[in-house]
Amino acid sequence: MRRSSRPRPGVLARSALRETIAYTLPAMILVTLMLYIPFVLSGYYALTEWNGISKTPVFIGFANFVTIFSGSPEFLKALVFTGKYALFFILLSNVLALALATVLTRGFRAVNLVRGLFFVPYIMSMTIVGFIWKFIFTQGFEHLYEFTGWGVWNYSWLGNGQLAFWSVLIVGVWQSLGFYIVLYIAGLQAVPGDVLEAASIDGANGRQRFFRVVLPLLGPSITTCVFMSLTNSLKVFDTILALTKGGPGGATYSATLEIYREAFQNNHYGLGSAKSILYFVIVLVITQLVLRFFESREVKA
Amino acid sequence: MKKLLSVMLALAMLLSAASFAAADGSAEINIFISGPEYADAIRALIDAYKEVAPDVTINYETTQNDYPTLLKTKINAGECPDIFATTSGKEISVYKDYSYNFAGTPAADALLDSVKTVMSIGDEVHGFHYVSNFFGIVYNKAIFEECGIEFPTTFTELAADCEIIAAKGYQPFSTGFAEWWVYKHIFQHFLDAASDDPADLVAKFQAGEVKMSDYPMLYDNFFNFIDLAVKYGDSKPLETDLAGEESALGTGKAAMILGQGAWVENDLLSIDPEIQIGFNGYPVSDDPAQCQVISGSDQALRIYKDSDSLEATMDFVNFWLTSDYGKTWFADVCNVIPTVKDAKVPATAIATQGNELTAEKGAGAVAISYSTDSFHQTFGEIMQAYVGGTITKDEACAQIEQKWVELEGSAE
Amino acid sequence: MTTIAAKKSRAGLRAAVKRRAFKAALAAAVLIVTLLYIYPVLLMVINAFKPFKEILTNVLALPKTWAPENFTYVMEKMNYFRLFANNVIITAIGITGIVVFSSMAAYILDRRKTPLTKFIHTFIITPMLIPFQTIMITLLKTMNIIHLSGSVWGLGIQYWGFGVPMAAFIFYNFMKTVPVEIDESAVIDGASTLRTFRRIIFPLLKPVTATVVVLDVMWIWNDFLLPLLMVNGSASTKTLVLCAYNFVGQLNTKWHYALAAMVVSILPSVLFFAFLQKYIVKGVVAGSIKG
Repeated sequence: MRRSSRPRPGVLARSALRETIAYTLPAMILVTLMLYIPFVLSGYYALTEWNGISKTPVFIGFANFVTIFSGSPEFLKALVFTGKYALFFILLSNVLALALATVLTRGFRAVNLVRGLFFVPYIMSMTIVGFIWKFIFTQGFEHLYEFTGWGVWNYSWLGNGQLAFWSVLIVGVWQSLGFYIVLYIAGLQAVPGDVLEAASIDGANGRQRFFRVVLPLLGPSITTCVFMSLTNSLKVFDTILALTKGGPGGATYSATLEIYREAFQNNHYGLGSAKSILYFVIVLVITQLVLRFFESREVKA
Repeated sequence: MKKLLSVMLALAMLLSAASFAAADGSAEINIFISGPEYADAIRALIDAYKEVAPDVTINYETTQNDYPTLLKTKINAGECPDIFATTSGKEISVYKDYSYNFAGTPAADALLDSVKTVMSIGDEVHGFHYVSNFFGIVYNKAIFEECGIEFPTTFTELAADCEIIAAKGYQPFSTGFAEWWVYKHIFQHFLDAASDDPADLVAKFQAGEVKMSDYPMLYDNFFNFIDLAVKYGDSKPLETDLAGEESALGTGKAAMILGQGAWVENDLLSIDPEIQIGFNGYPVSDDPAQCQVISGSDQALRIYKDSDSLEATMDFVNFWLTSDYGKTWFADVCNVIPTVKDAKVPATAIATQGNELTAEKGAGAVAISYSTDSFHQTFGEIMQAYVGGTITKDEACAQIEQKWVELEGSAE
Repeated sequence: MTTIAAKKSRAGLRAAVKRRAFKAALAAAVLIVTLLYIYPVLLMVINAFKPFKEILTNVLALPKTWAPENFTYVMEKMNYFRLFANNVIITAIGITGIVVFSSMAAYILDRRKTPLTKFIHTFIITPMLIPFQTIMITLLKTMNIIHLSGSVWGLGIQYWGFGVPMAAFIFYNFMKTVPVEIDESAVIDGASTLRTFRRIIFPLLKPVTATVVVLDVMWIWNDFLLPLLMVNGSASTKTLVLCAYNFVGQLNTKWHYALAAMVVSILPSVLFFAFLQKYIVKGVVAGSIKG
């Protein structure tokens, strides 16, 4: 039923524009203040040579970027490490979280309690996580080795560069799994019950139902979780700092940790800033590509 | 929703207004330092000072995690604390723009000479501290007695003793090689032995003028020592950290721990109050005279040069280091070895033995202060790679030399 | 009963038994997995009850002597209830702003797909990629200038900026699950955009909102680095986690106190999560039975 007086199209468009701005402006202002401005300001330092404290940074133009491109083996190593880490992290986190979320949305007793328990590691402070896991990897595995005699418990999970990668990965996935589980639960519960019913009436069994019906409808959740796990793994910092501090012998430096080391530990704040700008651009490109890919595959409700 | 929001904002504003109201008064000193393990003692000191100077407010903040980063952040945001912490020695030049020269004040005069030298540039005194540390090998006397040996003062003896200890079923060393700072603590003993003027030696390395292979004490002795430690140490050397070392020594599993010093005594006693703690230097060579402990301050507290409350801060520091309360505070309240003259020394095992050894053979200089932690952390990583077997000795030396120049070469 | 019917009912019975066995096995598997998963957390709690020396000697064992005094000591030292109030204020302010501003923006961005909104979407989401360490120094400078540092409510407002990118992203992605037809019927009925959003759309997003609230509460309540920069200066503005870190030194960490402090710091947020879970489920059940 139409109202008799409808505004002319031009006015409609302009008030629509005003609305769009009104609704999004607060978010944009906030993001600018807390994130963009500090980031751009720190970008200025990328053009300087500065030890982080002295009162006068020295302007050196693009020299920092030249340094990075003409040979920064540590930065490259950190990039490769981070890429490897991100790949496995996204895979493991999403598969495990989805599997667990599926199980946890069935109505069995104590499911609320169990759900909550999975989330606790996410909020534990990193120092404690590092402390506890160090003990598990050292003392804990030692006891397991005495108990079972399996060689796998006797390796030096934190002392060997190659193995340390997996240790860091395991702890990283363990710590944030609860986050993705919560997101997947929200997504699973948004799958309309009537769609599921229709599918089972059509004779699909459990597994078919899941892969043919539920999974496609989980599109938004998957996009969210893949994107978040991508972002978080590319930025991985706290886990590594707490567990290995980049060791042993510098084998587990992620990109952000390497940037941090350059800026704050080596007192080359300008070079560190330059690296972080470069890294930001790389991450931006990757995430935009991934986002476009996943959004195009979502099923409309 | 909107109503809730406005109520909350109002509430929040009320609360913050209340907190603002309390902030007036005369002088205010902002202390932001590391070392939260001494927080209680420092708070006691602040309380004692309140009785002497009641209208001075002291804001004391401490954290260990990421302290240098936080300090830099604060300085850059224009919030340099009135008293802040850095490492002693070389790091002065990094913070020179901000640190106050208090030569000639009672506090400066009260400092022990060994402490003063690492706090000064020429005649200018830029720092002080409240902990004078001892660095050396901490060992379990009972195990040595059981094995029928005295603490070795030469490297050959050390290697032989390790065999004996191992044969008795004990682990000779717990090395703590997971920590980056253990390496710098060990290395400084070799630096002291390598030259009569270790400060000059380090300066040469920073300028890229010398190589590790020029100095057998560094190239051979140091690496031989590390190899020995790995051979007779933890089965997974890169996994043991400080807690692991303390646990190993305290439970009687290991005979000696490396890279530690006076600070471990309390923790060891809390694991085993009956433990007999032995303390000595590192047997760096076959000359017993070179087996020395090192004493001094590796940390420094600095005063902000452009502080608004400079006078009040200076008064506080003078009180800290020279008053009667201050002089007993070191031993009684803080349980550390004092950095000033005429102050009471606590009767801890390490302090007592350290002083005896110093009287007998002299103590080495705190050579780690000739470089900053920036270098030391990288040094630790390079040594970890060596211990882990991913690089050879020559590769490690080459990297050490390169990093020394890269990170510290252009400093003033 | 014919033989065929008997066979069928027996088959049905077998299937039912099979299903029950499967469910039981699944429950058992979940229990085991959960226990393994939680084991490190259990370790933290167990060790918080141990005296210092026991922690240093064996982290994995149960306490030989229980030391609940760790907790009383820590809570007293920390001035627990004052800091608890700080945490509540910061978290409450932060959450409210984040939810309000992100959902508003996400709504418009999803419903009106124009080049402008696509740009705004990217603009709001991209900052998620900025690592915090990069902006620490300049952030403190900026916050000092606009007077948002050093106070509890200022910190709450800061979280609006930090939380909006992710929350907007989540809201945006789930906005699609609310059919546009609902908007259209509301508009036909004469509702303004604001009313449509407030009265109709937003309530339908309950599970998403609950999810965002839970995730952000957990994050803000237990955050360390940002409060360390902004409110660590005065004992009256600190947060719980900051205080817990006072027990961690480089050379002497008092693990028994550090662990106890951590446990009492994160406990409220865990309880909050347990409590709020019911709303996630409840809200969804109500939502899916809609016509």
